[in-house]
Amino acid sequence: MKPILIFCVCLAMAACATVRPGPEIFDTAEKAIQVAEIAGGDEFAPVEMRFAREKLASAQKGMDKQKYEVSVYLLEESEINAELAIEKSRTARSRRRVNELRKRNEELDARMRATFGDEFK
Amino acid sequence: MNRSLTRISLILMLVLLSACTAAPKKDLALERVRDELDNLRSNTELAGYAPLALGEAERALRKAEMSAGDDLYRSYLVYMADRRIQIARTMAEREQYEQTLDQLQDEHSKMLIQASQLEADHARMEAAEARLLVATTSEEAQRAMEEKETAQQKEAESARAAQLSAEEADQARRLADSRASEAKFARREADLASQQVTSLTRQLENLQLRETESGVVVTLGDVLFASGQARLVEGGRSSLEEVVDLLQTEPDKKIRVEGHTDSMGDADANLLLSEQRAQAVREALVSLGVASERVSALGMGEDFPIASNEDEVGRARNRRVDVILLDN
Repeated sequence: MKPILIFCVCLAMAACATVRPGPEIFDTAEKAIQVAEIAGGDEFAPVEMRFAREKLASAQKGMDKQKYEVSVYLLEESEINAELAIEKSRTARSRRRVNELRKRNEELDARMRATFGDEFK
Repeated sequence: MNRSLTRISLILMLVLLSACTAAPKKDLALERVRDELDNLRSNTELAGYAPLALGEAERALRKAEMSAGDDLYRSYLVYMADRRIQIARTMAEREQYEQTLDQLQDEHSKMLIQASQLEADHARMEAAEARLLVATTSEEAQRAMEEKETAQQKEAESARAAQLSAEEADQARRLADSRASEAKFARREADLASQQVTSLTRQLENLQLRETESGVVVTLGDVLFASGQARLVEGGRSSLEEVVDLLQTEPDKKIRVEGHTDSMGDADANLLLSEQRAQAVREALVSLGVASERVSALGMGEDFPIASNEDEVGRARNRRVDVILLDN
């Protein structure tokens, strides 16, 4: 809680002043990217993953160039891309399960028809 | 908590920024995002599935719309709103998939249940068929049994018929038997009669002893052989026992057995027959205990009659075997 308050203050100051935020400012985006990686983001949402990483890298560069404001936006954008990658990955898994089960059902159906003929359904 | 604080800080930031920047202009990017959200909202298939995420997207968009900050900040807010809409969309899609998944799982279990029911039905049907088969089989067995019974009846009938014919045959046989027994009886009578004759003859002719130059001659009448035969008749051997007893009283003397016939028939045949008969008697004597080296046998034919060949009584006397106990 405290670091966020500090972060807000920093942001506020960054708007009009040039005070460099601490390195912990990257934590949230970095952590989000890690979670997205675990969720299979690279497989299911490579575009979002790339955005998340690029924006994180840009934010880091921006910090180095003391573009604090844009860096903060970039970090937010990086994080939300990681978040979207997580959601897309989970959705993709659901879709995959649906397709698998649909296929299994079709196979089962065919097998049942072969076995029981018109009696089935 | 963390996020809401961040948001609060963003709002704070926005307020601060708006203090430094000019009023917002018309934003095509913002309009595009608005369209996108409206599009998602009006999608009846998806809209209901992610209400919370949609609400967040809505709030983010409104924040972007209301922002009076610089272009950088504004485009950041628009970007964030866009991402929120994307998130809402993918979450809605996922919810839809999850529902479809439930449905498919339902179908799957229903199919399995139906399969097991059908299997049970089939098993029942097969059992019923099996029962029917058993019934049919027993019916067939019954029929087979009936057929068998019929066959047995027929067999019995034919057996009865056979028995009848057998009885007829039996009767015929009995008739034949009775005739045979009649015949037998007659024969026995005849035999008895002939036996009487034979015993009479024996009394008359057995062990006729004559003294000759060669020695004592025991003449065996023609009772030993049937007419024309060279084999001893039944009981012929026993009738020789007396002869043997006599012969054994003089064990050191040689014995000559001579066969004679009447003059009837071929002389050579008679010679042969007389010799064979002599041999048969010799063998019989040996078998009754006379030492074989003592006995010789000789066929004499018809040339040494002892009576006339003109009448039957004479011929009967001539048909004989002489057992001669030789003197020297």
